[in-house]
Amino acid sequence: MMDKKVLMRVEHVSKTYQMGEVVVHALQDASFELYEGEFVVILGPSGSGKSTLLNILGGMDSPSKGNVFIQGQEITNYNDRQLTVYRRDKVGFVFQFYNLIANLTARENVELATEICKDALDIDHIMEEVGLGDRKDHFPSQMSGGEQQRVAIARAVAKNPLILLCDEPTGALDFQTGIMTLSLLHKINKQFHKTVVIITHNTPIGEMADRVIKMRSGRIVEIKENIHPLPPERIEW
Amino acid sequence: MGKLDVRLFRMLKHAKGQFISIAVVVALGLCIYVSFSMTAMNMKNTVEDYYSQTNFGDIFVQVVKIPRGALDRLREMEGIGEVQGRISFDVPLKVDDAHEKVRVRIVSLPESQKKINDLYMLQGKDIHGELKKAIVLEQFAKARGIAVGDKITPYINGRMVQLDVAGIAASSEYIYLMENEQALLPAPEKFGVVYVSENFAQATFGYRDSYNEILIKVKDHDRIDDVVRMLEEELDRYGVKRIVEREDQLSHRMLTEELNQLEKTSTAIPMLFLIVAAMIIYIMLTRIVKNDRIYIGVLKAMGYGNDEILSHYVKFALVIGITGALMGNIGGILLSGLLAKTYAQFYNIPFLKIDIYYGYMFYAILFTSVFCVFAGLMGAKPVLQIMPADAMRPEIPKAGKRIFLEKAKWFWSRVSFSWKMVIRNIARSKRRFAFLVCGIALTYGIILVPIAQGNAMSAMFSLHYGEFQKMDYTIDFAKPMNRKVMVEIKQLIETEHIEPKLEYPFELRKGWRKKVVNIIGVPRNTRFYDFRDEFQRRIMLPEKGIFVTEGLAKGLQVKVGDRITIKNFMPKKDDITVEVKGIIKQYLGINAYMNIDEMENTLAEKGMVTGVSVRAKDHVQEKLKNIKYISAVQSVEDMKNAFLQFLDSAIYATGVLMLFGGSLGFAIVYNSTIISIAERSMEFSSLRVLGFDKKNIYQMITKENMLMAAIGIVIGMPVGYGMIKGIAEAFNTDMYTIPVILTPKTYIIAAVATLGFVLVAQLATLKKIYSINFIDALKNRVS
Repeated sequence: MMDKKVLMRVEHVSKTYQMGEVVVHALQDASFELYEGEFVVILGPSGSGKSTLLNILGGMDSPSKGNVFIQGQEITNYNDRQLTVYRRDKVGFVFQFYNLIANLTARENVELATEICKDALDIDHIMEEVGLGDRKDHFPSQMSGGEQQRVAIARAVAKNPLILLCDEPTGALDFQTGIMTLSLLHKINKQFHKTVVIITHNTPIGEMADRVIKMRSGRIVEIKENIHPLPPERIEW
Repeated sequence: MGKLDVRLFRMLKHAKGQFISIAVVVALGLCIYVSFSMTAMNMKNTVEDYYSQTNFGDIFVQVVKIPRGALDRLREMEGIGEVQGRISFDVPLKVDDAHEKVRVRIVSLPESQKKINDLYMLQGKDIHGELKKAIVLEQFAKARGIAVGDKITPYINGRMVQLDVAGIAASSEYIYLMENEQALLPAPEKFGVVYVSENFAQATFGYRDSYNEILIKVKDHDRIDDVVRMLEEELDRYGVKRIVEREDQLSHRMLTEELNQLEKTSTAIPMLFLIVAAMIIYIMLTRIVKNDRIYIGVLKAMGYGNDEILSHYVKFALVIGITGALMGNIGGILLSGLLAKTYAQFYNIPFLKIDIYYGYMFYAILFTSVFCVFAGLMGAKPVLQIMPADAMRPEIPKAGKRIFLEKAKWFWSRVSFSWKMVIRNIARSKRRFAFLVCGIALTYGIILVPIAQGNAMSAMFSLHYGEFQKMDYTIDFAKPMNRKVMVEIKQLIETEHIEPKLEYPFELRKGWRKKVVNIIGVPRNTRFYDFRDEFQRRIMLPEKGIFVTEGLAKGLQVKVGDRITIKNFMPKKDDITVEVKGIIKQYLGINAYMNIDEMENTLAEKGMVTGVSVRAKDHVQEKLKNIKYISAVQSVEDMKNAFLQFLDSAIYATGVLMLFGGSLGFAIVYNSTIISIAERSMEFSSLRVLGFDKKNIYQMITKENMLMAAIGIVIGMPVGYGMIKGIAEAFNTDMYTIPVILTPKTYIIAAVATLGFVLVAQLATLKKIYSINFIDALKNRVS
């Protein structure tokens, strides 16, 4: 990739939890950079520390050691309020179980996210883009898992964040729907020029990424660049 | 409207049963607050207005006789504004039924335009000094069906005098119409007031150019005591019987006491309701926040701050509270109009001055908001601890463990399996247990109060007229008579026993405290009065010295052994000091008692009595009807009947209060059951998979609630007792002492009523249990 601009920089980040008398090293000495408009897959089995890493990137958790920068600004020493503002303006989350608010319609779920941020995108446009133009007024319980995940993606994108963090976005979906969800994320990456980070234990998904960060036991074991990423439609598992 | 607010309203809609039940609790509380406060305020203003329109007096003096000229001297005294003399005598009235004894107070009206205690004319016209014309007090006219143009015939000095009824009027002096302090309840068909011209009264009663009552307006209310002191001295030579300040005037005092009670009630009950509502909201919110853990995490991940999320839940509490407050305000205004009308009717105030006091409504909303915000913040506080990342993970299930009861092997091994589950469930959520038990204890207490109060009312009466006073009739003479008259009475009626009675009002003083009460002289070996001390021990009247009732002892702050001064109003008689020899129980009225011989010697005239008490099976009232020197024959039976009528209306109030208490119980049980069902849907689903059907589960919850209700009721018993005792103490007045009487029957009735409300609430949750989608509950678990 030419003239890559660094969006986030992670420097020697570690996270340890005290669980009773045992110290758990969830993340150890992770260092890497994320570039603008990049599609990154963080790959690893459960317990490898990828969720911890995602939470730190998203400002949902703070590292025990090391520093995290976004556009040159350090977020490691942010207080609670600053982290809230960071999550509000800069990050969009997509969760494995969609986590839509049950008693709000699809559109309202998206509005819920946009009404607190400064330069949100046009909701109806986004709903069209995720293919839910005609399902806007349905409640989550009236939608399939794939549809719910698309609402969740719309909700994350509509805020117009710098980066989209997706935690096992296909984990609860069947293969077909999973691929459709990945295509949508791919489209958003290209069309809206958003940095997309997916964490998954599903190795084939790595094939669609610009870069793959492999993790095991809390450590980054490999960062691999895909010269020719596969289009999501050609992935199989 | 923000999308979080949209969610809020959908949440409320979804939980509408809970929403309504809590709002109703708030509404009931505030309805009482607003209506009682406004009614008290409106009544006070109305009475004030009525007083100023009718120029109600400040001081009322009864003398033996005072010449007109002496009044002019009074007018010149410092601090005195207006002075008016009048003649007032209580006389019998001729009525169709020969058995009926009806008395009227004949009161003279001055000729002058500006009068003190002016009448409020309702029908007919003023008598303008015309002889043989009369104006009749409204209550009496209504009760006896007297209309303008009718004739009434009082016996005056043994003569029948016919008077034309020229008008019907209300009087600020008789808003509460009672003959004297000894009467317990107004009986407008038995006692009335008839106004006649001054000329007529002076001629018929032999009071040419003189009066026996003086009405006074003072210039400065704050210095009324100085005026009274001056009057005592100035009027001594005219034989002052009583000097009564406005605050002690019978009608005024009864009215003021009633309104003060209303004010006390207006804050105590609503406080209780608001506390319960806040408790329910707190529990409900804790549950909702726990359930919303993941959503809260999502909101935080999206960039919502703690304050925004916290306020989302506090708003939830606030919407419930404000809805209840608005309902309560509307209900309160409607009820206050109704209440004021009822009061005005009951007390015979010819007009009503009703305003809406927005201040009370404002306070109602303010109090509710404070309670709800507090409950909301406490309930939603766990929001702060939820980390956005934590929310992504399911909560660790609570560890099950053995409960202490299981250690009692002999007990536990005898409990059936389903009961074991019930007991364990109860023990597992201690907070819910505490809430429900406290709530039911409170409900039980609130239900117990009106039942016990009803009992206390009738007990108060039977204690006074069966236990304390044992005569069948009390006979009062028109003027003091020689004791020998008893021989005559014994010839007129067949008596089983007869005792003389000497009764006069005196002012009793201890230090700066003073009270005007009737001292009753009875024989030391009386068979009609059963004097008992505070420990219920029978005590006998002392040779010298005085017994005072509990209420009087409290009012004067005296104890046994203290000496009190009796101010003697009778001409040529000196004030005396006597020792308090006993403090006696008397539920109705306040009095002092003395040995009749000693009383004659020191306070009255030797050998003279004012009445007798008799026990007789004879037709006493009929036979004594035409005896001139007898002014009244009161039958205990008649008083009993009057009281029973009064109780009938009290039963209605009891029912309403029970319903209020019950609605609390309903809200508590309904909400905690709904919450419990929601919390345990997983558990119930598992039970369903194991083969339990919906009925089994419903039975299990019913058993849990009933067991907790039973515990709540047991705890509620001392709670109720405390409430009743507190109320009795707060509401005891000069007029009566409320006995605290609780029989097993009272406890049982309250328990049955409480269980009834619990059962209704339980039934209301039936639908919720049946509509849980058990499969969904199992599937939707994020893990």
